[in-house]
Amino acid sequence: MTDSTTQGALSGVRVLDLTDERGIYGAKLLADLGAETVRPEPPGGDPLRARGPHIKGEGAQSSSLWHTFFASNRRFFSVDVECDAGRSQLQQLVARADIVLTCSNTFALAAAQLEEAQQQRPQLVVVDTSSFGPSGPWKDFLAPDLVAGALAGFNATTGAADTAPLMGFGELNFMVSGAYIAIAALAALNHMRETGCGQQVDISVHECIASCLEHVLMSYWYDDISPATSPGLPRQGALHWTQAYTVMNTKKGAIMVTPAPDLEAQIFWLVQEEAFEDLLDEKYSDPDNALATTQRVMEVLQQWVAKKDAEQLFLEGQSRHCPYGQVLPIEGVGTNPQLQARSWWVNYETATATIKGPGAPYHFSETPWSMGPCGAAGADTQALLADIGWEAAQ
Amino acid sequence: MKESVDNRVKKTMNRPMEGLKVLDFTHVLAGPFATRILGDMGADVVKINSADRAVSANEPAHPYYLMWNRNKRALALDLTKEDSRALCARLCRQADVVIDNFSVGVLDRWGLGYDTISKDNNKVVYVQMSGMGEGGPWEKFVTYAPTIQALSGLTHLTGVPGRENIGLGFSYNDHQAGLHGAVALLAALEARRRTGRGQRIDLSQFEVGVNFTGPTLLDYFANDVKARATGNKLPYDDAAPHGCYRCAGAASESLIDERWVAIACMNDQQWLAFKELMGNPEWAESPELALAAGRVARVNTIDREVGNWTAQYRAEDIMQRCQRAGVPAGVVQNGIDLVENDPQLKHSGFLNAIADDHPRVGTTYADSLPLHFQKTPCEDYQRVREVGEDNEAVLQDWLAMSDAEIKAAADAHLLT
Repeated sequence: MTDSTTQGALSGVRVLDLTDERGIYGAKLLADLGAETVRPEPPGGDPLRARGPHIKGEGAQSSSLWHTFFASNRRFFSVDVECDAGRSQLQQLVARADIVLTCSNTFALAAAQLEEAQQQRPQLVVVDTSSFGPSGPWKDFLAPDLVAGALAGFNATTGAADTAPLMGFGELNFMVSGAYIAIAALAALNHMRETGCGQQVDISVHECIASCLEHVLMSYWYDDISPATSPGLPRQGALHWTQAYTVMNTKKGAIMVTPAPDLEAQIFWLVQEEAFEDLLDEKYSDPDNALATTQRVMEVLQQWVAKKDAEQLFLEGQSRHCPYGQVLPIEGVGTNPQLQARSWWVNYETATATIKGPGAPYHFSETPWSMGPCGAAGADTQALLADIGWEAAQ
Repeated sequence: MKESVDNRVKKTMNRPMEGLKVLDFTHVLAGPFATRILGDMGADVVKINSADRAVSANEPAHPYYLMWNRNKRALALDLTKEDSRALCARLCRQADVVIDNFSVGVLDRWGLGYDTISKDNNKVVYVQMSGMGEGGPWEKFVTYAPTIQALSGLTHLTGVPGRENIGLGFSYNDHQAGLHGAVALLAALEARRRTGRGQRIDLSQFEVGVNFTGPTLLDYFANDVKARATGNKLPYDDAAPHGCYRCAGAASESLIDERWVAIACMNDQQWLAFKELMGNPEWAESPELALAAGRVARVNTIDREVGNWTAQYRAEDIMQRCQRAGVPAGVVQNGIDLVENDPQLKHSGFLNAIADDHPRVGTTYADSLPLHFQKTPCEDYQRVREVGEDNEAVLQDWLAMSDAEIKAAADAHLLT
């Protein structure tokens, strides 16, 4: 018998994953925490298996690393929802699930007959994600990550004055909706455990993103007491709305520098290095002059930083408890000493390769997060048919 | 056979996390965002603050505090005093969840670390949301979201080719650390049902951030590809046009008044529809542009011509015309747009004034929890509380302290 405490936190929870890009990260979070997660896919395979990047040198059938990251730890079930048998199989998978995650218009949604399933089994939790919610003037709008971020306020914050508004790299918006999906599923599961009642949770990607914009709504609502200069706040590169954090170029690499939260400590450092210019002027110690002080400090820092090496400055700053951050390229992340020391990296297994990749976003002392394999399309179909007692004659 | 709901109901709950007791030592954004979500879902979140610590973003009238600390009760404890810490330890014994986002070791130094608490309360889920996690050469490093975003690769990857100084325009990773903190503790609560025990969760905000570059890191390790910023182009897949394009209708020359629309033709059918929408201009009829790969190879031409077309029209009109034609497009909305012009957010009632005025600020506001539970709707938004405003109620509810005991604690200046 397996010791229950060595299993993942969600061991024993059954999830049916009918998500697309908007929700697959939520299914990943649950799966990596130990939920038995079944991902149906059409007979030709999940279209998301075509998403790049791919493993080089494997030819036309090369494994998608995008799919590997987002869809490992699943049991893959190939199902033809155009035929009676396929629909029946899918409905039997629904019947054994604690949680069904869906996104509007995904391939098997109609065949799953979730309303009927909820009537038959009221404990069932369904989390349904759409771009804009189940009703409203934009309910049928199409919104891949770029458009979702544009409409929800992400892109207007990002970019510089001389660039267009920018999206994040990858699916940063859908990773927000994905995290919310996992929260919704687990909260509804908690409610079901307490009351015996499942329910449906509707999620709008648009609202999810809009709830995670730091200063954007704040500066509109509290413009009279907010340090932000305008409720619209134009994109301004890496310069934070407080004006107190930005990325500067050194003679070797870039670094995020800030005089916050301890301005005196920063000025003391500049004094030590005789780079303080006029910062000891009385006007910069006037609390009513805080914004101008911050802006002047940033100007002084800009000149000082330009003569430094980014890595050395980062480490020196941190030794002084200054929250500096070196701007690391991806190869710098891949060789990072902190991640190495925490044994953070794990192996991802595709049908053809084992690849080092990202580890857990959180570490449980008793029920460890774990990374499982990413099988080929429909790899677990026969095993799942056996699980539901399906016989070929049916 | 259909199972009867009535036979299975154990109790009724108006919100999905009612009954959960959360002791909240968090500050600034990442931690408070995690507990805001729990409070929105009905948990009894008791936020520990003190008069001495209530400065800057920890001050209950600060805009930051107003944004992330609704739906919580406020208990003042001066944790520099031994007797206050003893009182706090009693609260920890009653808690389902204890959560902080201090640097590693702060609560341990106060005698409130997991090893101490769990001796008397083995059901507690203890979430430590530090910047770098426990252990490693960077364990004590001080971080804010811009620090994490720089170190995790997010800043380097977000921008246009050849520039490292753009990055994300807001503290994305703070929100995500909060969301992941909430996921982790909810999962640990489910595990507790099975094992009967709580546990400790070590969340490194840095590792949360690095996790978002997942496919890119796999590409680095599998293929030795060192990814670089690609602007609004998809880094790995073929889609064009795929960008933000300037439109007509700017109220002034100011950056803030610029109007932009995002257009994303994700397949060749959408390109055909978009081409027709533009009136099938000659440049777009080139057979080299028929397939996505060909368009991506000529993306500079595409972007220039599409930009020339969008510059003639208002962003809202382009969005509506594109969406009617089945082409993904959306106005690049800023904060003013979201609050004043967004018909979808108005339809869902997403943004609201809180009914009860804040005693010093007056009207305060809430962006709703974006989770619509059909049976347990989370639509109750209580204003941010002043430091210690709920001292009596919390100490009565959690510790059954009498009025006299509470007065004695207050007289000893423990509750400040």
